[in-house]
Amino acid sequence: MALIPSPKPYSLQIHKLPQYTYIDALRWLPHISTFTRHILLATYDADSSTSSLQTLISSPSQTIPSVALQASVSAPSRIASLKVSPSQLAPSKPLIAAATFSGSVLFYSADLINESLNFEFSVPDKGFHSGAVSGIDLSENGSECVSVGEDGRVNLVSLSGKRDFRRVFDSSGLVSYSSVKWASPVEFVTGAFGFGLHWWDQRKAGGPVALFKNNWTGGIASGIVHSIDIHPSRKHTCLAGGSSGIVVAWDIRWPKQPVMLSGVGAGDAANSLVESDIWEVQYDNYTHSSKIINSSSSRVLPAMICSEDGILAVIEQGEEPVELLAEPCAINSFDIDRQNPSDVICSLEWESIAILTRP
Amino acid sequence: MPGVTSDSGEFNSLSIVPHSFDTQAPKVYPLHIHSVTPPLARLSISWARGNALRVCVLQSEDTVQDEKPGGEVVEVKLTNVEGGEIPDAQWRRIAYGSVAPFALLQSRKNSIDTSHYDKDWWEHVMEYIREINSLLGNSKPSVSSMIEDPKTVLKKIEEPTSLKPAWELMEMFYADRQSQTWIPERLLDWLADFDCLFSATQPTVHAKLVAFQEELVTIQAVENDPEYWEVLSSALAVGWLDVVVKLLRLHGSYLFDQLGTREIENGLVEAVALLISQMPRLRLVLPTEKLGECYNTKPEFMKAWEKWRGQITKLDCSAFWLQCDHQQTRVGLKNMLQIMLGNANVLSRVTYHWIELYISHFLYIRPFTVVSATFIIQFPLGLESMYSLAQKCMHLKPISNRHKLMGLLIGILEENTEVVLAECSRSFGPWMITHAIELLTAGSTQAEILLHEERSKIGGICMEELHRLIYAQILSSHAFTWNIAPIYLTSCMKQGLGLLENLLYKQPVQYHQVLLKSIEICRLNGLDDVSCNMMKIAGVHYWKHGKKGSAVFWLQQARDEVRLNRIAKQLYNFVGKSVSDESFKQWEGMIELLGTESKTAGGLEFLKKYRDFRRSLQQVQEGITIDDARKAAEALISLMRNPSTPQQFWLPLLYDSLKLLNWKEGPLLNVSQTNLLLNKLQELSLARLLPGFVDAELPPEALKSVRLALATNLGRAILEEGLNPPGSSRLKEDFLCGISHDSPHARSSKGGTVEPSRMGFIL
Repeated sequence: MALIPSPKPYSLQIHKLPQYTYIDALRWLPHISTFTRHILLATYDADSSTSSLQTLISSPSQTIPSVALQASVSAPSRIASLKVSPSQLAPSKPLIAAATFSGSVLFYSADLINESLNFEFSVPDKGFHSGAVSGIDLSENGSECVSVGEDGRVNLVSLSGKRDFRRVFDSSGLVSYSSVKWASPVEFVTGAFGFGLHWWDQRKAGGPVALFKNNWTGGIASGIVHSIDIHPSRKHTCLAGGSSGIVVAWDIRWPKQPVMLSGVGAGDAANSLVESDIWEVQYDNYTHSSKIINSSSSRVLPAMICSEDGILAVIEQGEEPVELLAEPCAINSFDIDRQNPSDVICSLEWESIAILTRP
Repeated sequence: MPGVTSDSGEFNSLSIVPHSFDTQAPKVYPLHIHSVTPPLARLSISWARGNALRVCVLQSEDTVQDEKPGGEVVEVKLTNVEGGEIPDAQWRRIAYGSVAPFALLQSRKNSIDTSHYDKDWWEHVMEYIREINSLLGNSKPSVSSMIEDPKTVLKKIEEPTSLKPAWELMEMFYADRQSQTWIPERLLDWLADFDCLFSATQPTVHAKLVAFQEELVTIQAVENDPEYWEVLSSALAVGWLDVVVKLLRLHGSYLFDQLGTREIENGLVEAVALLISQMPRLRLVLPTEKLGECYNTKPEFMKAWEKWRGQITKLDCSAFWLQCDHQQTRVGLKNMLQIMLGNANVLSRVTYHWIELYISHFLYIRPFTVVSATFIIQFPLGLESMYSLAQKCMHLKPISNRHKLMGLLIGILEENTEVVLAECSRSFGPWMITHAIELLTAGSTQAEILLHEERSKIGGICMEELHRLIYAQILSSHAFTWNIAPIYLTSCMKQGLGLLENLLYKQPVQYHQVLLKSIEICRLNGLDDVSCNMMKIAGVHYWKHGKKGSAVFWLQQARDEVRLNRIAKQLYNFVGKSVSDESFKQWEGMIELLGTESKTAGGLEFLKKYRDFRRSLQQVQEGITIDDARKAAEALISLMRNPSTPQQFWLPLLYDSLKLLNWKEGPLLNVSQTNLLLNKLQELSLARLLPGFVDAELPPEALKSVRLALATNLGRAILEEGLNPPGSSRLKEDFLCGISHDSPHARSSKGGTVEPSRMGFIL
């Protein structure tokens, strides 16, 4: 019995690692072994005005995790959005999509074994987006990438075969999109300025199939949807986070009854954990709701948020939010490790990343 | 330092510290232009954030190629600080880390009104000092190997920067109450940590030790090497006892094969080593790796000291020395005893610069120097004796190359706050002075008066504010640190907010993250006007770049009705003006953006009404009940009555509503309503004559058919109303007969020809 190693300490472990460069976005890369993890960073150096993509290697087995640079490639412009899709054929070569402020989407493949990042292709700039691409998402099987921009265009990039794009919609700037997320292989949801959420179906051309327009905030504030997430097991519910600390769950089946999880319209002061912009939302598979067993499917699953005022927290419908990190600076993005959801990385505005290991 | 030049006169006139200004040579900043190629036609230069300049480079027109931009904007950062001891990224890390402690101390300062000598207050200050100090240290702890090499007498450490020793000096003298009683010992520790910094410019004990350690590996019998004894005495003089004892144990007499023959010699070496390791020290705590015996109170220490001195004297007079055959050992050990007995000549010989000599004086000549026996800091500190000793040491070891840390130490010992400030600002930069001021003013009324006195020479602000402003200006210059500048600016009473507004307005609005951050800063500081203006700027920016949705969003957020109206006018040129126009669908997104509640929409309000009208009209066209038709007619009237409905929509609206005007079951509009519409038509035909009128894209006969329909409707309405009030005029009835006779024809042809003469008659 004594030979059994002592269990891991039952507390949240936080390690902050200064990077000496600004981090625009970050993601976990899929695991290839149990001893190492790979992190993908999109960095920006203001002094030389250069952006790059980097893969870092970290060893979680050590008591103090350290990260080391594995590969780096320079990017033509700052990265606005970063997505990773595991490759079914070659698990060590995940696909990376990066949307830039200059209006292109770049595709890379990371070779985790040979420690390299390889540029695959970029979507031709002409007629794609004018101005920044504000959001992208890779479909589940990695065959398609949807992109939206402030110019009001919605494009689909096909990754198999021709590697070209197709215009789904062009609002000629009348609507500025800020984020996008796939709901199913043919459906996706976009977020826009003015708290607009649109549901799109590729089978029905000519515009969104559903608009989510509810007086979320009671007219107190309007804002921007910065991030959307959809749970693979509940494809009808879309989780959106944006300005004024608002997080809302919108079920397409009951469009008139949004569930406010946080923000000014949520009513109670207890929910106003965050008052500033919520930069990213993701469903948190790790936090199991205490009432999950007897809860109906209408109950919104727990979600993690990060905010401008430096909060990384897990929020749940009708529960007190659980704060994981409270920083004096903004937390710009975070990612929950898909294969090991106890691990979370987040990027802090003050040129560092934090690795969290939950008990 | 940038910014100091503005009050150069004042600093020069004080001239306590020589302050040189690099104004002689003009500085060249190369422009890094990417897309624009010479020849250039124009340059325009303006201030960007902080010390940065924004330079717009415009190419001459004839050389502009179609696909390339004709101009470019680049930022040039003006700075005097080049390279420096600390790389930029490291500086930023320090800057980030010091925000939270600084802000916390400020808020605590504001909440505590009571005396600054309050116990809690001191705890807050110490917390602040510790946190800042931890930022200046090495990020990684040095890795110590498991097996200690006996020949490694000096641990390899990462070279510290001069910020940490400077900070610790100020902490030691100005803030740390506990250390006040044992300042000499703290100075000793300080020198042990940072003597290496002086090595760059002058000989030091540390440099000597490092050099000797490199040789050590190759030396066979160390005791024959004169260098060995020199290093031993030097290290002993500055109190690095652990090093000394470790070196002594390398003495050849300790070797097994020699122990027998050199027994007495070994005994003497061991006796000295033992005495050294038992040296009494007046200090609160002693780290385990350091040698000596620790005494907390002065009486105990004095007793122990006398006893220890007695033992040394006894050893010095011992007869064993005569029996020691090894001459170098005998001389070397005797020399060490002299050091411990406080022989000033020897001390002066074995130390290299004045601080080392100063420390050795404290250790062996004036061991009872304490600044103040009480545990309450008094200002001035009463450092006269320490200062005079320092002067004596400086006299013995003249400074050939004055290190910036020496300047600071002298300033502190002199108890001259101005010198300390000037040294901080000159040698350690704006970050140091801004944060050190907190430490200086923490307990010193004199420093507080000096720093908080408003000076007309620097625009009525105090020194503290001046330095904060300078530091904030430097933070503002960088894209990553500008957003921490507000913390410092808001702590400046007089000019802080003004500069903060300035800083916010200088932010580029095209990155919406930067914009959102600026708005957040405004929210936190209650600068609603500024955030409103920034939203307006952003709105106009996006409008210019064709991002109409974002533009409307930001202008709406700013409640800028004037600009929304102006935008609306331009926007309506693009709105499809016919119900059948499918392209109207794309406006749905914009209408949705405008919101349903009574939010500021300005002229755009029309869009919403127009959409509603279109909807009801569409239903009418699909052929539904009279109720729907009535509703649609009402919507039409309210649209036409609304002054915000743009003129170019009037005719298309009416043309689309022909079906309503010609409603079979009876007139949907009454007389006054019809008159209103007729008046609008009249107005329109007058407006047509004006320049700049935009004609709606409608079939040419549209106007005629609308007129006819309106007239018909008017007739029917009068008839209907006329049935009730009796005695209608004869003329009117005649007139009506004509119309009612004609109307079926007009209805059936719908857009067919109607004789112009008759139209003229009707109107």
